[in-house]
Amino acid sequence: MRILLVEDDSILGAAVRDHIVASSHSVDWVTRLDAATAYLESAAYDLVLLDMMLPDGQGISFLRSMRMKGCATPVIILTALDQISDRIQGLNAGADDYMTKPFDLSELSARLNAVARRYSGNPNPLVEIGDLQIDLAARTVARGGRPIDLTAREWALFEAFVQRPGQIMSKVQLEERLYAFGAEVESNTIEVHVSRLRKKLGHSVIDTVRGIGYRLGNAR
Amino acid sequence: MMLPRSLQWRLSLWLGLGVALLWAVAAVVTAHKLRHEMNEVFDSALEETAQRILPLAVLDIIGRDHDGDDDAEQSVATLRRHDEYFTYVVRDSEGKVLLRSHNADLAVFPPFAGTGFADTSTHRIYFDAALRGTVTIAVAEPLAHRRAVAEEVLLGLALPLGLVIPLSLLGVWAVVRLSMAPIRTFRSGIEARGGGDLTAVAADGLPSEIRPIAMAVNHLLERLRRTLEAERSFTANSAHELRTPVAAALAQTQRLIAEAPNEATRRRARHIETALRRLSRLSEKLMQLARAEGGRLQAAQPVNVATVLRVLVDEMTMDDPKQIELVLADAPVFSDIDADAFAILARNLIENALKHGSRHEPVRVALSADGVLRVFNAGSAVPADMLARLAEPFERGGAQGEGAGLGLAIAKAIASGIGGRIELVSPREGRQDGFEARFIPDK
Repeated sequence: MRILLVEDDSILGAAVRDHIVASSHSVDWVTRLDAATAYLESAAYDLVLLDMMLPDGQGISFLRSMRMKGCATPVIILTALDQISDRIQGLNAGADDYMTKPFDLSELSARLNAVARRYSGNPNPLVEIGDLQIDLAARTVARGGRPIDLTAREWALFEAFVQRPGQIMSKVQLEERLYAFGAEVESNTIEVHVSRLRKKLGHSVIDTVRGIGYRLGNAR
Repeated sequence: MMLPRSLQWRLSLWLGLGVALLWAVAAVVTAHKLRHEMNEVFDSALEETAQRILPLAVLDIIGRDHDGDDDAEQSVATLRRHDEYFTYVVRDSEGKVLLRSHNADLAVFPPFAGTGFADTSTHRIYFDAALRGTVTIAVAEPLAHRRAVAEEVLLGLALPLGLVIPLSLLGVWAVVRLSMAPIRTFRSGIEARGGGDLTAVAADGLPSEIRPIAMAVNHLLERLRRTLEAERSFTANSAHELRTPVAAALAQTQRLIAEAPNEATRRRARHIETALRRLSRLSEKLMQLARAEGGRLQAAQPVNVATVLRVLVDEMTMDDPKQIELVLADAPVFSDIDADAFAILARNLIENALKHGSRHEPVRVALSADGVLRVFNAGSAVPADMLARLAEPFERGGAQGEGAGLGLAIAKAIASGIGGRIELVSPREGRQDGFEARFIPDK
């Protein structure tokens, strides 16, 4: 998943960013709302992690204006405001989840996976494609009960296909999911990872749509 | 006599009594003056009568002397019989009656004692003399007559008085009541403020004597509101200021655990993590306690606590929905308690039940239509002496578990802050085991 992290505390932000990267998602981290607005407009994100009290304004008004503009990207609020009225206000403004600081990083992972699953129309973490058993929560793939090892990047790519069955994704879209802004992307990275996935999971797992991109194979 | 406490009744009473008294005094003085004037008029009529009759009587008597018949006492012929107010006798110097009015009673007339007025016990009498004292006249008027006239006049004065006094009392009462209306409006404005509403009370149309009081009340309300708001934002800000660094430290520590190169480092990092969790829990509880013992526990507008409770239970059961069984009334439950204060109270009761209850049975949370919150948990019963100590700060039931021992103290502080109470019951009603914490919002 590609995640936008809006958090002005540098120590907390760094830990959350590292944790998200370690869970094989890509993340852009901004510390101000004006930057968040610019990033949201320039790229497609799967999820926004939003702090409430930021140097240039309140996260809640940012969320409201985001929803008003018709942006449906899931938002998880990360905040020090722990009162129930803040929580109700946050959820009413269109947040998908509301976590109060301090929180466990493992808890954060669980919540963001849950929200992402909800949005991909597949709230069930266990998916079967062909003879593959995929656990989106545990991030594992198995064939006939035998687990198949995927690297973090391979998993991130594969998850993107599983979450959008039938949808064609361009190379650029896939690259965006894999890398945060500024990260080095070589021209053939996607091809390399797709071919590795086909080798591990079977050739029919991903179809190539010539001149457009890739989609999940219909070998099921 | 007990003086009435109400300003309205006091004013009505004193003004009414004052008016009545003044009126009565005026009536008495008038009556007195009138009586005096009347006496003068009556006296002058008496004198006039004597002076009119005497010359005629003298002529009559002299004429009679020529006839030589001088022993006859004569009464004046009358046209017809009638009641007389004035009776008179004409007598010679020896007191012999020469002439008298037909109704004259001789016993009434004392002997002549010089020209002028004289009083007997029953009559007012005027004497006059002619022909150098050889003929005298005495005209008598009964005092009863004068008294009757005076009484009639007095009655004429008193009768309207009897009508006017109640009327003026009523008028005074109505005027006072009308003038007090803005004060009553002001008072009910203050009364309607309730616990949470600290907006200024409208002071329009108040009399200038009361206006400064209204201003002072409004200033006080404004100051109170600002103080409470400052306290509230202080609590919220310090929560933010504390939570963010703790969150940063915890997240960094958890990254450290994940990235630690060896088991020893990982173990150390886990100790830091545990300490940080403890720190965060304790600071959270202390903040809640400060909030509970501070102001702003009452909401400006009624709050649907059922919604608050549902959101709270949703949050608390994110990991395991089977932990808590929530029973809500069908209709919204409105209460004057601040939503956040209620959430803190309910959270502490539920956390307490989760911590001390049995793992095999869910905690039961029930909110009745009258706002009574009951939290039940299974587990061994709590002895009575322990039950009494439980709500004290830093008292941990059973001493095991990781709580700061502040939960019930926080709930109790919030409950008493809004005029309600917390009741602890163990064992549960109709059971041998378990524990029930009950929040009763008022009285």
